[in-house]
Amino acid sequence: MGQRISRLNEDIKLDHDLLKGTRRLTFEEKRILANRVMKKHGVAGVTLHWVNAISWFLLIFTGVALLSANYLKFAPDWYLDMMMGIFGTKSAMLHFHIAVGVFWVTTLLLYGVFGYKNYVLDFIKHDLTIDKDDIKWFPAKAKNLIGKLSHYDMPPQGTYNAGQKAYAVVVAFSTVILMLTGPIMAFHLAPPIVIQWSMMLHFVATMSVFAGVFVHVYMAALFPEERPAFFSMITGKVNELYAYLHHYKWWKEIKNQEHEFFAEELKKDGIHLPELEECKNIKDHQVHVYTLDGEQL
Amino acid sequence: MKKYAMVIDMDRCVACHACEVACRSHYDVPVPYYRNWVHDLRPEGVYPDIKKVSYVGLCNHCDDAPCVKACPTGATYKREDGVVVVDKDLCIGCGLCMDACPYGARYINPNDNKVDKCDFCIDRVTEGLEPACVATCIASARIFGDLDDPKSKVYQFVANGAQQNVSDKVNVGPNIYYLDNHNEFPIIKAAFPPKVPKMPTPQKLWTNILRPLFYIAIGGTFIGQLAAFATQLFKGESDVKE
Repeated sequence: MGQRISRLNEDIKLDHDLLKGTRRLTFEEKRILANRVMKKHGVAGVTLHWVNAISWFLLIFTGVALLSANYLKFAPDWYLDMMMGIFGTKSAMLHFHIAVGVFWVTTLLLYGVFGYKNYVLDFIKHDLTIDKDDIKWFPAKAKNLIGKLSHYDMPPQGTYNAGQKAYAVVVAFSTVILMLTGPIMAFHLAPPIVIQWSMMLHFVATMSVFAGVFVHVYMAALFPEERPAFFSMITGKVNELYAYLHHYKWWKEIKNQEHEFFAEELKKDGIHLPELEECKNIKDHQVHVYTLDGEQL
Repeated sequence: MKKYAMVIDMDRCVACHACEVACRSHYDVPVPYYRNWVHDLRPEGVYPDIKKVSYVGLCNHCDDAPCVKACPTGATYKREDGVVVVDKDLCIGCGLCMDACPYGARYINPNDNKVDKCDFCIDRVTEGLEPACVATCIASARIFGDLDDPKSKVYQFVANGAQQNVSDKVNVGPNIYYLDNHNEFPIIKAAFPPKVPKMPTPQKLWTNILRPLFYIAIGGTFIGQLAAFATQLFKGESDVKE
């Protein structure tokens, strides 16, 4: 057995041990995991995320300035003046809002139509369904935020944690509402009564997403523990230490796939690793409870 | 500064509907809508003491126009010369102005699904012409002019007691005046009283209930995250490699 194979065997031994359940890691194990990467998002997902983010940014900044009636207005007068200064006329601003909206809807529809099997169905089945651990996550996260529970004790999470899932549901529903109400208003497709309800629903959907966006941005870009999630939205990859600690169930799933692939490839070369075979048989994971002991990652 | 207004001389009007037709043809207003109308009322009274009146109406270009306040996008606005106009580029056809208008002067034009109404033929007026309805009136029952100019006919008629279609409940400063020498105007006021401006249910729901709730929710999450970020900054970050 060559040197590389023996190193692979070492790796698999660690996986084999960790697959049995979450546990406190030694420094050496943390170091090994931190240097390994896993693919979390494909190019399609990363592109969609940023197209969506930029579109939302432009749409909210112009949309807020479009409403000037006192009882509906969101922004102060100086903001309306500023936007008029940028766009020149209000009708130019409205047309910009509609153009970006059309671009956004088209992108999402293309993603929905062509990525229906690969991305959308998979996302709904795999990442939006809620299990017991997700329900336990909410009170646990509340305790965690006020410092009464270490994140070692959090219920294990899938690709997305329960908070991300909840926000994803809000965003998905709002997106559908916006994709319907937007064109109705922009192209005057319905009688006034429908347009009046569309306006209200348009605001409700936008505000629902907007209310959560601070948490979304803060958690991803600024909160230290979750920061690898932010970089994964650029590179598509996360390190395994983050995956192990924050998304254990997903880490386990990817590991299982990886081992299956390894086993097949090694079989072709006539190499048999007993631990690799064993990994496949570990189906249920156990969650152990540890305290943080003041040690920080 | 100009302030355009119109006086309808009820004694002179013979209810020929020429003004309505002129307006319809000038602006391609589809039946059954109108920017400008003559509603013929049934004869009232007992022979020989009979009154037969027609309600000649159009947008009142109100000083305190409820439609301007209702328009969400600012498509409906009041010009400096007092004319209330619709910027079709901004209109989304939501009809909030129609619910606000006390005189029913607005309609959704099925050709473009946007709102349309009388604009005192402002394009003609800036070219020095009279509005189409005024120019076509066979009896000169419609008088158009500048209410701020004491020499103008409208000014003199208004000074001599031309009345507005207002009630105790609704008075938003309309600029259409009715000249009435035979006590016929009360019949019109009774048949077509100005309506109280309305706001549709979804907008009421949004303004009174949903918007405050969302402001609380957004403020809450924003302040929450700000507090979390501040704590993070005060604590400082550890140099241990993540």
